[in-house]
Amino acid sequence: MSGATTPSLFPLQNGGDPVLLPEHITELTGLGQFGLAGELLATFVAAFIVGNFILAMTGVAGPWAKRKITASFTDRIAVNHLGPGGIGIIIADAVRLLAKENIIPENVDRPAYDLAPIVIAGSAMLGFAVIPMGSGIHLADPEVGLAFVFAVAGIASIGLVMAGYASGNKYSLLGGLRAVAQNVAYEIPLVVTGMSVVLFAGSLQMSEIVAVQNETTLFTIPGLEWAVPAWFALVNPFAFVLFLIANFAEVGRNPFDMPEAPAELIAGYQTEYSSVYFVLVYLGEFLHIFLGGAIIATIFLGGPAGPGPDELGILWFTLKIWGVFFLTQWLRSAVPRVRIDQLIEIGWKGLLVLSFANLGLTAAIVGVIA
Amino acid sequence: MCMRFKLPNVTEMNDWIAIGALALVGVLIPLGMMAVSYLLRPSVPETSKRATYESGEIPTGDTRVRFNIQYYMVALLFLIFDIETVLLFPWAVVYLDAVESDAVSLLEILGPMVLFVTILLVGLAWAWRKGAVQWAQTPRQVETEHNRP
Repeated sequence: MSGATTPSLFPLQNGGDPVLLPEHITELTGLGQFGLAGELLATFVAAFIVGNFILAMTGVAGPWAKRKITASFTDRIAVNHLGPGGIGIIIADAVRLLAKENIIPENVDRPAYDLAPIVIAGSAMLGFAVIPMGSGIHLADPEVGLAFVFAVAGIASIGLVMAGYASGNKYSLLGGLRAVAQNVAYEIPLVVTGMSVVLFAGSLQMSEIVAVQNETTLFTIPGLEWAVPAWFALVNPFAFVLFLIANFAEVGRNPFDMPEAPAELIAGYQTEYSSVYFVLVYLGEFLHIFLGGAIIATIFLGGPAGPGPDELGILWFTLKIWGVFFLTQWLRSAVPRVRIDQLIEIGWKGLLVLSFANLGLTAAIVGVIA
Repeated sequence: MCMRFKLPNVTEMNDWIAIGALALVGVLIPLGMMAVSYLLRPSVPETSKRATYESGEIPTGDTRVRFNIQYYMVALLFLIFDIETVLLFPWAVVYLDAVESDAVSLLEILGPMVLFVTILLVGLAWAWRKGAVQWAQTPRQVETEHNRP
């Protein structure tokens, strides 16, 4: 950057090290010499990389990992023909699903029916913008990070209602309504529990929340001299468990998979979707599981932190969100589904009250200690 | 000294430009997949194929039926509590700083928010007693449950 006259998107570049991915890309490719246009292009490239990284992870999870995990739990083999461990099924399934005929039923509400899959998939992807994934992969770091990620994750509800209502199918309608009743019941415990983390960190900025967790030492294991970082899951395990439960309901996974309970509603809001539309709705659900995992990893599990050099950050981060994904699949195999009336009662009478108790106690404890 | 609004300059906007870029990518990837699928997939028009799915039967009646009032009551409650969380966020952000400074006592920081949350929880208790967060059962359902061994 020469001189103060050139407007630059990245003022930090002049002083400290680059922090965010767009800056890294600008430096690596030398796009900075083209001024603002070059930097905008670098930002777009960075966003494209992040989007595709998430998409690749969902690609592995949906057609392959999910089947393999469920098969292991139920003592079966699952996909094993294409490639080592059957991993080639990812490509075969992608081609198969995209090449299906797109059957659009007569009674659908056209624009809404077509837009819903884009809303569901796109909103989940947008949430990853503020997640620090380690190894310099961090697209943006606004001061309102945590509030932003909750807000964006909430957009999916609109997509689900659009899909449910526009399909013109009774199962879809009920599935969409259930999805909203569920999101509405669990959104507040989720946000309020997330707020108890903000009380510790004193900031909504994602990089700040991660830094606070890893700067402080909770205790040192005697004899081994291992400093245990103050990850919020260790500081406040109660909030961690509450957040996990609310998160599973929020992304509609077992035992809270009411909206698409196959035995009652065929496939809920995705009943009338086929071909690429079905892929997008399905993809959006997996993106949401991973977004939930990313939020949990960031605010409770120290983000990309782990043993070894900082460059391994992305590895630890991926490991943490796959841990959460594994947990959802474990619950899918092990826990029966709750009924809709139980679901509403667990949310409004149980989790909501507990999350406010958690917030009050955390505030009191932080106040007394400080 | 008077306060003046200042437009954020381009350097302060870079986070939101990056988020906007991901939003664009988030729309372009689904559109790209739709385009690929459009090139690959066959089209075999057939009248009965496009009927609304109802477990293989001919669909009966209209889809936009009347549905359970429960969904509506719960949504009203949600609206109140969601606005509350929005009001709680700024408090949570400044809480640690406020506690660590000696200017204000703990009671002054915690008190108003506890009062605010309590008022809303009283509201929840009222809704609870009124049965708004209880899933309504039809007389037939109650009867079946009563007769269950």
